[in-house]
Amino acid sequence: MATSRALRQPASLRIGSAAFLTFWCLLAAFPLFWILVMSFKSPVDAFDASALAVIFGPRTIAEGKGLSVIDIAVGLVFLYFAVRLAFTRLPGLVWALTPPELAVLGWLIGCLAYAAVFVVLLFGVLPPVLGIIDSVAGPLGQPVLGMTTEHYRAVWVENGFYRNFINSMIVTGGVVTISLTVGTLAGYGLARSGSNLAFWLLIAALIFRALPHSVLVAGYLPVFINSAEILRPILGDAAPTLYGQPLAVIMVLVAINQPFTIWMLRSFFQSIPMELDEAARVDGCTHFQAFRRVIMPVMWPGVITTGLFSFLLGYNDFLVTSLLLDSQNQTMVPAIAGYFNRETTTTDQVEAIAAAVSITAPLFLLVMVFQRQIVSGLTAGAVKG
Amino acid sequence: MAKIELRNVSKRWGSFIGVDSFDLTIEDREFLVLLGPSGCGKTTTMRMIAGLEDATEGEIWIGDRKVNDLDPKDRDVAMVFQSYGLYPNLNVYENIRFPLRVRKVPEGEHDERVRRASAMVELDDFLHRKPAELSGGQRQRVALARAIVRRPAVFLMDEPLSNLDAKLRVSTRAQIKNLSHELKVTTVYVTHDQIEAMTLADRVVVMKKGVVQQVGTPTEIYDNPANTFVAGFIGSPAMNLMDGTVTGGVFQGRDVRIGGLDHADGDVTLGFRAEDASVAGPGEEAQIAAKLYTIELLGDAVMLTVRAGGALVSVKAPKDFRAEIGEPVGFVVPTECCHLYDRKSGERTGAWHRPQGDGVPSASDAERIATTPAGPM
Repeated sequence: MATSRALRQPASLRIGSAAFLTFWCLLAAFPLFWILVMSFKSPVDAFDASALAVIFGPRTIAEGKGLSVIDIAVGLVFLYFAVRLAFTRLPGLVWALTPPELAVLGWLIGCLAYAAVFVVLLFGVLPPVLGIIDSVAGPLGQPVLGMTTEHYRAVWVENGFYRNFINSMIVTGGVVTISLTVGTLAGYGLARSGSNLAFWLLIAALIFRALPHSVLVAGYLPVFINSAEILRPILGDAAPTLYGQPLAVIMVLVAINQPFTIWMLRSFFQSIPMELDEAARVDGCTHFQAFRRVIMPVMWPGVITTGLFSFLLGYNDFLVTSLLLDSQNQTMVPAIAGYFNRETTTTDQVEAIAAAVSITAPLFLLVMVFQRQIVSGLTAGAVKG
Repeated sequence: MAKIELRNVSKRWGSFIGVDSFDLTIEDREFLVLLGPSGCGKTTTMRMIAGLEDATEGEIWIGDRKVNDLDPKDRDVAMVFQSYGLYPNLNVYENIRFPLRVRKVPEGEHDERVRRASAMVELDDFLHRKPAELSGGQRQRVALARAIVRRPAVFLMDEPLSNLDAKLRVSTRAQIKNLSHELKVTTVYVTHDQIEAMTLADRVVVMKKGVVQQVGTPTEIYDNPANTFVAGFIGSPAMNLMDGTVTGGVFQGRDVRIGGLDHADGDVTLGFRAEDASVAGPGEEAQIAAKLYTIELLGDAVMLTVRAGGALVSVKAPKDFRAEIGEPVGFVVPTECCHLYDRKSGERTGAWHRPQGDGVPSASDAERIATTPAGPM
């Protein structure tokens, strides 16, 4: 839409703001870009004094691990189509093949299957095929860009980073599920209640949110360590020691996260008119049915946005997870910190960088998939639809 | 099919009284309109019938059941809301079908019943659309269809026309009237618009600050307002109300003198309707003589306004009448058209006027009242 002449900004201001935004984007993106580049180079290249050597990686090429122009071109085309297919064909296939009541399961299976095919094609099929092409292509087949995936293999296969990944998924999954279940119910109740008690509950939640996280951890720690003794009268000999278990972390993270979730979901519920509940109740729903069948379907943007924030909290948490988990239950973020705790070699450091890139990628994916719901969720209260 | 009984129903929030001992029986198949300015408790009364609001006191009976402690879903009522209350994630068809699905009506009947309901409100072409893709009038028709699809014992309509523009309001009003005639279901209709009340109602309840002012057929209420509030609320323009004193059967106020009244001496408010008076011809004795305050052309008539008895008094004149503002005019007010009210309490003290005919409002009466051109409201 063209801006009218009267509203248009002067050229100097436009150029100035564009330049500032570009600078800002570069500044923000540089660290991400740099660890991505470093994670694919041999340690000598990754810590070279010359920036060009880090980018092109001459010693990585010398080790026989490089990409030719053809490799880069084919790889980029493959990635482009992989992403496009994921966003165009995959949803259609999932909808067509799964009955509506199993939609979540269908999506899960569809995405996992797609990821598996993607990995097999990218790492299993492409390299040998391209190797043959490169050997007959002459100068275009000569490696120009150093690139090695050895650090990723070291991290995921040799160091068993997948275990940390699974632990992260358990913790974040637990945090998101409990936060959203309690949050939607509490948020709905508080949004629809006009009583003074609701107001004071919300204020209390705000105060809990303001507490430093370490206070909660310090308060819970002795309880978790002694939980077997505390719970014995109730559970008998089956009473677990919660310290070191994902469950303990989930409990603390939910405690940290819940006030925020309740506040956020409450404001989403408030933007849904009361008449919708009332219409549903007159039409034949109980109060809870009205909530489940009429209000929740309208609430998806709010649930997804809140769920994403809960996910980020659980996924990125360092303090709680590092203090409460033992080594075999460790999540990804403290596991990366572990790389620096030993007598660190440059190889360890590059592996830590590869691990850091690995935990960033799912976040990008998540935001990309849910961006539309997130935007509509964030603006839902602001403008009336 | 059920009659509704409200037995001394009250609603209080703390010390604030929303509805004050409302006592009324709504007959089976009756179309009852609750009328009053905003904040008069009419919507609260309806919400208490629906079960969305608890009655503080009193009993509510629908049919032969006391429903005070029943959930809205168990009261067998259907409701139409001012802002539609449609489910935005469902299309029109599913919106109409929703009550059937929730109430576990056998699946096989759904399609036929949804289609019959949608045909009654002429929505057949829009069944696949989402509510967001409909105009206001269409949305309200979806809400109507959703209400009638289940054939409830009682219809409740909460200002269903207030969100529509003037033209749609007239056509949707006609549709509601036709539907209620066809379905013959007890209906309670809330509105602040007296024209809607006049056109739709079998009986009208006029409320003010939670207290019922008058219950009656539209004609009764129009011809015999029980107090000055009803007189000033019903009709457009509302009844002229002048302050003055009666001495020896003669009402006197500023610029006004009406004789031949059968009323005790004292301070009174005298009312008459604009169409009952006329402009005094040459040589005729004028009861009101004052300078013209304003003249408004209404198309089918001319509205003349003067200041008399401490108020603005409007009188209808033939449509070709012309005069300048400030000119002296005289009005003839027939004694038999005057309504007398106690000045302090506002209650009617003068005689009740005999209704025209046998007391049952004829269709043409309602029509005549409803089509009085809209003046300033």
